[in-house]
Amino acid sequence: MNSMPIANNIRTLRFLQGEMTQKQLADAIGVTRQTVMAIEASKYSPSLDIAFKIAAEFNLPLDQVFQYVVKDSHQ
Amino acid sequence: MNKKDKLLEWMRGISFRELTLVVDFFITGCILYFYVESLCYGTAEQLSSVTWLSSLLLKVIIYSIVLSIASYLLLTFISDDELSKPLDVREKQISLMGYKYSATILQIGVVLAIFQYNMAAQGIAALEDLIPHIPLHVMVVAFLLAELANYGAQIVKGRSGEIYE
Repeated sequence: MNSMPIANNIRTLRFLQGEMTQKQLADAIGVTRQTVMAIEASKYSPSLDIAFKIAAEFNLPLDQVFQYVVKDSHQ
Repeated sequence: MNKKDKLLEWMRGISFRELTLVVDFFITGCILYFYVESLCYGTAEQLSSVTWLSSLLLKVIIYSIVLSIASYLLLTFISDDELSKPLDVREKQISLMGYKYSATILQIGVVLAIFQYNMAAQGIAALEDLIPHIPLHVMVVAFLLAELANYGAQIVKGRSGEIYE
């Protein structure tokens, strides 16, 4: 069985963006702080809409914020 | 860090929506406890009396309304601007998961109540003799348990963040 989490650099990017808080990012993209926390911890895959909004917030292309990582659990 | 600090930190960490769910969970738990306790300590005459039963149900409704209003008034003072915001996609998913568990328990409750009702109709109802109006009690308890499952699932899924099954 393959697990395919979507990794992200949001925590690092927030730090580089003048130590932006999770609440500030959440307010900017229109979600709750708990949702930002879940996305950062890779426990929740955001919708395309939210993913693009996060990338736009950091002025980066989507693939520099989110990475599609395929893990094979049999290995 | 003492217990008070831990509680304050936890209060700051959770969203207003989660806090509301926790309060709803405890209110529903208290009402369920009150209802079951009333049934357990009710005399045979009380349990078979329709007047006593209707007053018990009325008390349950009044308590739930009063407790809900009191808690929401209290919570409004400490709320952020979350009340004015719509649920985001993740919260909607969590909410749907809560309803899923809730619906399952309600379905089981209704099926058990119908089963009990049919048993009574055919004169093979041992439980009906022990607790009169048992189909009604089964449905009320199922409804309260369903609400508990709904709130509990939303709290756990919201906290753990693991919403995929």
